[in-house]
Amino acid sequence: MRKKVISMLLTAAMTCTMFAGCGSETGGESVKDTSKTAEAESNTSEQDDGQAQTITPKEGGKSGTLNLWAFTDEVPGMVQKYIEAHPDFPYQVSSTIIATTDGAYQPALDAALKAGGKDSPDIYCAESAFVLKYTKGDMEQYAIPYEDLGIDVDKETKDADIAQYTIDIGTNSDGKLDALGYQATGGAFIYRRSIAKDVFGTDDPEEISQIIGGGSGNFDKFWEAAEKLAAKGDAIVSGDGDIWHAVENSSEEGWLTSDGKLQIDPKREAFLDISKNLTDKGWSNVTQDWQDAWFADMKGTGPKPVFGFFGPAWLINYTIAKNCGGEKTGEGTYGDWAVCDSPVGFFWGGTWILANKEMDEEKKAAVRDIIDWITLQTDEDSLQYKWANGTLNGEGGTKDAVASGTVMSKSDGSMDFLGGQNMFDYFVPANQYANGKNLTQYDESINQIWRDQVRAYASGQKSREDAIRDFKQTVSDNLGIEAAD
Amino acid sequence: MKRSHTMKKTIIFIICIILSILSILPFLIMIVNSTRSTVEIQQHALSLIPSGYLASNFKVLVGKSFNPLVGFMNSLIISVLTTILATYFSTLTAYVLVIYEWKLRDALYRFILAVMMIPAQITMIGFYQMVYKVHMTNHLSMLILPAIASPAMVFYMRQYMIPALNKEIVQSARIDGAREFYIFNRIVLPIMKPAIATQAIFCFVSSWNNLFTPLVLLTDQRKYTLPIMVSLLRGDIYKTEYGAVYLGLTLTALPLIIAYLCLSRYIVAGVALGSVKG
Amino acid sequence: MKARHSRYAKYGYIFSIPFAAAFVIFSLYPTLYTAIIGFTDLQGIGTTEFHFLKDPFLNFRTILTSPTFQTAFCNTVKIWVLNFIPQLFLALLLAAWFTDRRFRVPGEGIFKVLFYMPNIITAATIAILFNALFGYPMGPVNDVLTRIGIFSAPYNFLVNKNIAQDIVIFIQTWMWYGYTMIILISGILGINPEIFEAAEVDGASGWQTFWLVTLPNIKTILLYTMITSLIGGLNMFDIPKLFLMGGPDNATLTTGVFIYNQAFSGAYMYNRAAAASMIMFVIIVLASILLFWLLRDRDEEALKKLQRKREKEMRRACRVGRKAEEAEK
Repeated sequence: MRKKVISMLLTAAMTCTMFAGCGSETGGESVKDTSKTAEAESNTSEQDDGQAQTITPKEGGKSGTLNLWAFTDEVPGMVQKYIEAHPDFPYQVSSTIIATTDGAYQPALDAALKAGGKDSPDIYCAESAFVLKYTKGDMEQYAIPYEDLGIDVDKETKDADIAQYTIDIGTNSDGKLDALGYQATGGAFIYRRSIAKDVFGTDDPEEISQIIGGGSGNFDKFWEAAEKLAAKGDAIVSGDGDIWHAVENSSEEGWLTSDGKLQIDPKREAFLDISKNLTDKGWSNVTQDWQDAWFADMKGTGPKPVFGFFGPAWLINYTIAKNCGGEKTGEGTYGDWAVCDSPVGFFWGGTWILANKEMDEEKKAAVRDIIDWITLQTDEDSLQYKWANGTLNGEGGTKDAVASGTVMSKSDGSMDFLGGQNMFDYFVPANQYANGKNLTQYDESINQIWRDQVRAYASGQKSREDAIRDFKQTVSDNLGIEAAD
Repeated sequence: MKRSHTMKKTIIFIICIILSILSILPFLIMIVNSTRSTVEIQQHALSLIPSGYLASNFKVLVGKSFNPLVGFMNSLIISVLTTILATYFSTLTAYVLVIYEWKLRDALYRFILAVMMIPAQITMIGFYQMVYKVHMTNHLSMLILPAIASPAMVFYMRQYMIPALNKEIVQSARIDGAREFYIFNRIVLPIMKPAIATQAIFCFVSSWNNLFTPLVLLTDQRKYTLPIMVSLLRGDIYKTEYGAVYLGLTLTALPLIIAYLCLSRYIVAGVALGSVKG
Repeated sequence: MKARHSRYAKYGYIFSIPFAAAFVIFSLYPTLYTAIIGFTDLQGIGTTEFHFLKDPFLNFRTILTSPTFQTAFCNTVKIWVLNFIPQLFLALLLAAWFTDRRFRVPGEGIFKVLFYMPNIITAATIAILFNALFGYPMGPVNDVLTRIGIFSAPYNFLVNKNIAQDIVIFIQTWMWYGYTMIILISGILGINPEIFEAAEVDGASGWQTFWLVTLPNIKTILLYTMITSLIGGLNMFDIPKLFLMGGPDNATLTTGVFIYNQAFSGAYMYNRAAAASMIMFVIIVLASILLFWLLRDRDEEALKKLQRKREKEMRRACRVGRKAEEAEK
């Protein structure tokens, strides 16, 4: 009896903690970090009695459902805006979002494409780290070329002035265009103005570019700057992950040789030493990207103040700004940032949009409208224009560099977050560095394995030789790819 | 003598209290943090005072394709049907082993003993290929029907039935003209109720908690079970949404905690019963 | 009498059809299919066609010589052993206390309920919860340790191979000691109380009673617990998969996670995964045989033993007789 009473009490106590939270809910105050897209999304999902997230056009939606697969809520958010602007859109859109972390997205997408049927994806997104698998790799046969959707590819890509690497990556092995992105993801160096002033006596992007060797093609000056920063107790980057993206996309060769064997480009191998140096010489806070500590450095609350991050425009708005600990100048590190040239050119990330070859004939026109709007149109109602100027979700939204040069040339990238700097001044030229030639379809998996081994070496847990050996072994075990030598 | 007993009792009591705290604390942190905002959690991740952000955490959570209700319903459908099928057919098979004298009886019993410990996980590649070939991935039935053959439960039911079921009852029912199927449903099942209840709880829990099979078979988000939903919380779309992640975990664990604390007497007794053999 | 039974014998066949059918379709066939795939070239997402390899044991050799599989296997065994020892120790200790005839621990019932609770919660939830608890730099564990001054700065637990492994071991122990304890308690309560009374009369101390009376009498249950735990341990998947995805640097990679990664991510190497599954299958079958032997029908066995003994005696008697005859000659 007593036992029962006490267990009831425990139950009650645990339930109470839940409802205590409910009761003291403070009216309209919403959580700070909620991004705009997330808010927009939750609005629509409610009418749908809890099924997968479906966007229903106000007047249309009678013809059936389009299935959209993505790894963030970004593209579903865009499609939602498109449908809001086109209430007579004939289809409902059901979005499936699976994060790419730990590689969960690809297996699920692969299985869904293979399974076919009415639930198979009609439109699907792929990230730069694995888009090649879907445009010219193992899953190529599922993608429909844009021209088969009825898009005049040559004319429209020219009119929109789409960056060449975006097209290269999206072209299949027959030379037809299967996929395009909407972002331009050429990278720059994003640094803290206050630290720049303190250590180098200036926060001017041109001068800081000079100091870190912006555009020089090597890291020599960058390490000199690192030492100066270290002397003042600052770290130049947060972790080795920040440098990795610069190393990865600036190397001459990708992970695979032409006959499909594993190779390690000298620049990528040198990343082992870079990472070790960062750790041993205290040039970083030894964080891992996308982990809590990395975000803490954006806010400036890590063990050492961190000078900067390597990244494209999206990193500023979607990651640094969200984690800077403030929403206007003076709060957290908001407004304390600036953009300058990266020592070596690179690009990082980007989302490509593909459509399923197996889709019903009648869906094609609707799919084309969405894809064309996202990737190729350039007028003021187009996605890219709104994306670049941060007006997709109303005025004052986040700005981003986009794939269309035409759009970029008529957009304004100045932001309070960067102390008023127009970030497009640096990101537009950064895109010309970017090239899509050293990508392979296994990049996501191989990068993850490589970075794990580099981390083990840098932290002193294994020797350089062991790390390389284990890397080759793991790639062979997980992917069946043998080393070239 | 007396004093050393009190000493010993006190030490034991303290150790038990520490272990109890260890059992409760992680869940308590989880529940409390599910009501706190990400900012609060970032400042101090440990707090036992609930805050007021439950609703906004919930908004963030469901805004990112986490749909606890769908997962809950799917898990419920699978677990309930699995439990019904497993207990019913295991009792029937145990009945076959106890009552009828037929040639293959001993062979079947030995076979069940031999395979009862082999986990389904180890043959998943073949199972997946089979299901894939007949285009049945994403069908919940593929997670339910295998429960008809649950050798371990048959073993347990047989152990229970041998002393509990008087063969004379069956005989007299036969004399009264009852059919075999009727006898099983109307006479044997009620006798087996306590064993069925015990096994049902464990069957339900293990089916509810199963991650591996659904993870392999289900790709359609509308078919996801709760453990798969949970695994999505690791994704980087939740990387900075601590409150929402804790809330997602709480939503999956709280129903179990409540059900457990209410049924704990039977469950603990059931664990004890389930193990007494040989 | 005999005729009556055979009249009902057909129901034995009829009523075992559902079980047999489900077993053949959902267990036997997949098992054989898995075994076959191990000898083929079946690879790639969605592939269902396969060819047998010229070298039939290629996949098995690849797996057995693969350092990653070896690591995974060693991890699995290590995690199981290191979790089972404290788990059993704690469970035995608690079981001994809770069944001590000389005193009752206050709140015993509630303690049992609480110790068993982690076992009932979804392992997936627990894995991710612990990932959050040990978060860096602002997880609850770091928060406590820095606030009470044990650490001056937060420590990144989850990138340290040993600590990551230790946490998995801790989670396993934490989830399972309550279960083991309850089983051991029921085993101890099943011992004839007269044995304890006799021990008490003989003046045995608490420890002596435990070592000399309790332990030998729950030997079977201990073995049962060990084998079921071993089989469960060899299949460990949910916790290592969701806690750190087998990382850092494969420190928490178990064979279950290895097989999953081979088959359902990366290059979809079903054949290698099948070979690895079969290797694990053989190990588990061996463990099962042990269990089978342990749980064999005691009465029947005793009868057979008696028979054998009698036969032996008779033979010996005959031999003795023959020898006597020979001696006489």
